[in-house]
Amino acid sequence: MALEGKVVGRNVRKVDGLALACGRPKFTLDLDLPGALVGKILRSPYAHARILRIDTSRAEAVPGVACILHHGNVDRVPYTTAGQGWPEPSPYDNFLFDRKVRFVGDRVAAVAAETEEAAREALRLIEVDYEVLPAVLSPEEALAAGAPAIHDEDDAEGIYDAQHNIAAAVDIPVGDIERGFAESDVIVEASCEIPYSQHVALEPHCVIAYFDEDGRLVLRTSTQVPFHVRRIVARVVGLPMEKIRVVKPRIGGGFGSKQEVILEPVAAALALRAGRPVVMALDRAEVFTATRTRHPMRVRVKLGAKKDGTLHAIEMEALSNTGAYGAHSLTVLSNTGSKTLPLYNKAPHLWFHGKAVYTNLPVAGAYRGYGATQGYFALEVAMDMLAERLGMDPIELRLVNHIRAGETSPIFEKIGEGREGKPQTVKSCALEECLRVGAEKIGWREKRARRRREGSWAYGVGMSVSMQGSGITGIDMAAATIMMNENGSFRLLVGATDIGTGSDTVLAQIAAEVLGVPVERISVYSSDTDFTPFDTGAYASSTTYVSGMAVLRAARKVREAILEVAAGMLAEPPEDLELAEERVTSKKTGKSVTLSEVGHRATYVVDQRHIIASASFVPEESPPPFAAFFCEVAVDTETGVVRVERFVAAADCGVAIHPKLAAGQLEGAIVQGIGHALSEELLFSEKGRCTNANLFDYRIPSALDVPALEVVLVDSEEPSGPLGAKSIAEVGINGPLPAISNAIYHAVGVRLTRAPFTPARVLAALRG
Amino acid sequence: MRLKIKRFHYARDVEEALSLLSAYRGRGAILAGGLDLARSFNPKLEGLIDISGLGLSYVHEQDGGLRIGATTTLTEVLESRAAREYLGGFLAEVVGQVANPPLRNQATFGGAVASAHPWADLPTALVAVGAEVRWVDQEGEHRARVEELWQGEFRRLLSSAVITEIFLPPWEGAFAFGKLSRNVGDIALLNCACGLGIEDGKVAWARVALGATPRRGRRLLWLEDLLTGEAPGEELWQVVREQVEANVEVGADRRASAAWRRAAAGPLLARTLARAAEKATARQR
Ligand SMILES: Cc1cc2nc3c(=O)[nH]c(=O)nc-3n(C[C@H](O)[C@H](O)[C@H](O)COP(=O)(O)OP(=O)(O)OC[C@H]3O[C@@H](n4cnc5c(N)ncnc54)[C@H](O)[C@@H]3O)c2cc1C
Repeated sequence: MALEGKVVGRNVRKVDGLALACGRPKFTLDLDLPGALVGKILRSPYAHARILRIDTSRAEAVPGVACILHHGNVDRVPYTTAGQGWPEPSPYDNFLFDRKVRFVGDRVAAVAAETEEAAREALRLIEVDYEVLPAVLSPEEALAAGAPAIHDEDDAEGIYDAQHNIAAAVDIPVGDIERGFAESDVIVEASCEIPYSQHVALEPHCVIAYFDEDGRLVLRTSTQVPFHVRRIVARVVGLPMEKIRVVKPRIGGGFGSKQEVILEPVAAALALRAGRPVVMALDRAEVFTATRTRHPMRVRVKLGAKKDGTLHAIEMEALSNTGAYGAHSLTVLSNTGSKTLPLYNKAPHLWFHGKAVYTNLPVAGAYRGYGATQGYFALEVAMDMLAERLGMDPIELRLVNHIRAGETSPIFEKIGEGREGKPQTVKSCALEECLRVGAEKIGWREKRARRRREGSWAYGVGMSVSMQGSGITGIDMAAATIMMNENGSFRLLVGATDIGTGSDTVLAQIAAEVLGVPVERISVYSSDTDFTPFDTGAYASSTTYVSGMAVLRAARKVREAILEVAAGMLAEPPEDLELAEERVTSKKTGKSVTLSEVGHRATYVVDQRHIIASASFVPEESPPPFAAFFCEVAVDTETGVVRVERFVAAADCGVAIHPKLAAGQLEGAIVQGIGHALSEELLFSEKGRCTNANLFDYRIPSALDVPALEVVLVDSEEPSGPLGAKSIAEVGINGPLPAISNAIYHAVGVRLTRAPFTPARVLAALRG
Repeated sequence: MRLKIKRFHYARDVEEALSLLSAYRGRGAILAGGLDLARSFNPKLEGLIDISGLGLSYVHEQDGGLRIGATTTLTEVLESRAAREYLGGFLAEVVGQVANPPLRNQATFGGAVASAHPWADLPTALVAVGAEVRWVDQEGEHRARVEELWQGEFRRLLSSAVITEIFLPPWEGAFAFGKLSRNVGDIALLNCACGLGIEDGKVAWARVALGATPRRGRRLLWLEDLLTGEAPGEELWQVVREQVEANVEVGADRRASAAWRRAAAGPLLARTLARAAEKATARQR
């Protein structure tokens, strides 16, 4: 049923593969700008303090120091670092520099100097007097009566309840939840918690700010959201948007951490003050503590079901820790419900409610999964409990309850991007098949029936399912421009942001399919706010679906223009012509002209014009990809060590434009999810200082930790998507936490509800 | 981590390395693989003395024991036939669990002995087999058992000395190594090395070291005494589990709690002893 394309559906060579493999300079810092200053940031040693005095005179005297910025000498403009559609549904609670610091690592001042040594020396010599304030180091403390207000400034905007440290809150009732539980035959409840974790993109946040020949500010930056960077920097530094150009070169990973505009305003302000180029790059410790993290969250799920397993009532309550600032606080919280509850659309009674609260800890933000990961942990553990209570196979319970093509959920309409959403009917869903294939591959039936035990090692299998979305309905917008060169090749300009996902290749494939050429005939350029059309950016699993649709539309327009020129050459109407294999052929006579001939004629010969077209796309819906996850774990009952032995995931992402890249997204997400489940957690001292902000202590999985991992792409065709495609980037990270927790339960009969499942936690649970 | 290195030297022989070291008066250091130098850089350092050209990269078998040159990388150890055969593969078992392949390509055996991290695996293993360190300083050549070296102020001693060789003695019985960590390539939350000699179905001698407790590996003499003369088997291992949980000295760090270390140490030791006993019995036959 999948589209049998000439280009689409095939594992073509990545458009940037060779350059990357050869180590060509493609990344942000690969540009060498003579005379550039080095920018460094002075960070708060306190979790919560007022700045009483800053004296930079000694620092300024350091030879080579060009300028020093702090709250006393920059404009005070409230903004959010969240790179989202405008106006952003995140509170404007950030300032370039503030009179107050709200976590260990918060910005106090920034220095630009000739050398890194001079910059560091200047940082050392900046004198700051702090009035240390009581710190709030957990969501519970934040909500306690009399807790210090973290955002007591009066010029922040859009905070839900600053006095009580509540950045955002949601309360979405559907039906009558009390009645729903009263009418249920079985009720179970699970409460699961995810700690602070970091994306650990290979390339740290970095930016080069410089000026072009006309004095316009250019930001070459490692970002997922070039157009949001332009808008937010313009606001913060007070430049008109047209005076700023943002260039996104090749990016070494983001996972959401670069959907935040963190470093760019600082670099821009330093460059403007110094009148010189400025280079800034964070070190790994700064990436850990002073960029963004996943929102630590405790999610409680209460399920009411009928005897046959049909869900009747679902309550989900989330307590999210947004840290010192509220970036994405409302939308991540909303997503916890909006990307989970529609999956089980049989329950008529729902209640989703929660709060995102401020603490004096690092700032949470967008991270692959975006709240859904937190929600699925609790939801899928609760489903496992329910299956057990009902004496049902967990797969069977999912089959009874999961949404199908042609069905809807009230949640689609109730929860949108920080406001109401839009009604949506699911048009493609192959979850049933995913469940079947996954179960077969892992050997579910046999392993579920017979628990294996070898000495102290107990083996078990567990599963979970998840869905996500494809872009943000009514808000995401992508545009693409395609131009034909006179030799019949093309340029594809997209604002879409390839951050290592391979989207440049996927978008080129879509264009190539429509234009009847191999991918090699298309040069892709992404993205540059001066030269590529607008795109909201790489987030919310949007690029293939949203940007892909823009490319598809532009390609179709270009195709029409080509056929029109060829019609003149072949003296036949365009309807009778076919574009394939780099030629336009008459279906009637079989006569043909090559694309190169078409290009030449249009450019130089008759009725000259540039064959060029642009198109935009705004999604009217956000079709969910679906996935089923199965894993086998081994639990050492004597030490609490857990090993994931096998992992199988089957996913429905519609038509996989590039199957290998799609599978890679799934594999990467699963490994990241295994990290969440087994080892990743940022730790803090009693004073709120992160104590393991390095890769030696903070353990991410390496290639050596990857278990026997099998991913299967199950075909479906999404009618609203480009050539049948929907997303795959995020859905995979929601599965491992609950699947591994459920497998541990199957193996040893204890529920792990606090991630990560370290040997100490597992052993403590085993010993009761 | 700021590097303030002004000079980089390739020492041609041990004497030159020593005279450079003394000339720097604490502001110079021996550079082997550089893993530790890069990870926790001493800001006082001005000069680095590379010792890769001293001819100290080798693994030699000697009367059933093993002589390992200080600059031999862990990968070279793993690849050397002599090291793989030593104590029925015990050393390869340990080294194969150190960090990951790229780091093992870099890390040297001498560097591991000089840094002797409390959480590291090699110290625990070397204590258990009673390895001997050989080094040279201005006064001449010295040798000492690793545990003796590490008990003293070895860091000060090594700031003006060059380790040249580590000698691992032969043993009649068998050794096994155990490590618990959060993931592959992680340092140990707890590790142990156990050696047993078995005669007439009884433990003739035992060498047991526990490390990353979070202190550096050291022998559990009381456990060695308890084992000696007993018949290896599930019953004995059960006693080990219980006695270790009751008596072991462990502490907490940010990687693991004392409670978990106490609970996990017994099973880890019991299993590792069981494997050693199995190997020793097989070797005897
Ligand atoms: C990320 C990481 C993970 C690790 N994981 C493990 C693990 O799982 N298990 C484990 O056991 N170990 C582990 N280690 C420790 C590792 O084995 C040692 O760091 C390594 O062996 C040090 O060797 P080197 O050659 O790099 O030493 P260098 O960094 O070159 O030197 C270390 C110190 O010793 C001195 N020195 C080096 N050689 C000599 C010599 N011949 N004479 C005198 N002084 C000398 C140096 O001056 C320096 O002070 C890990 C280390 C790192 C960085």
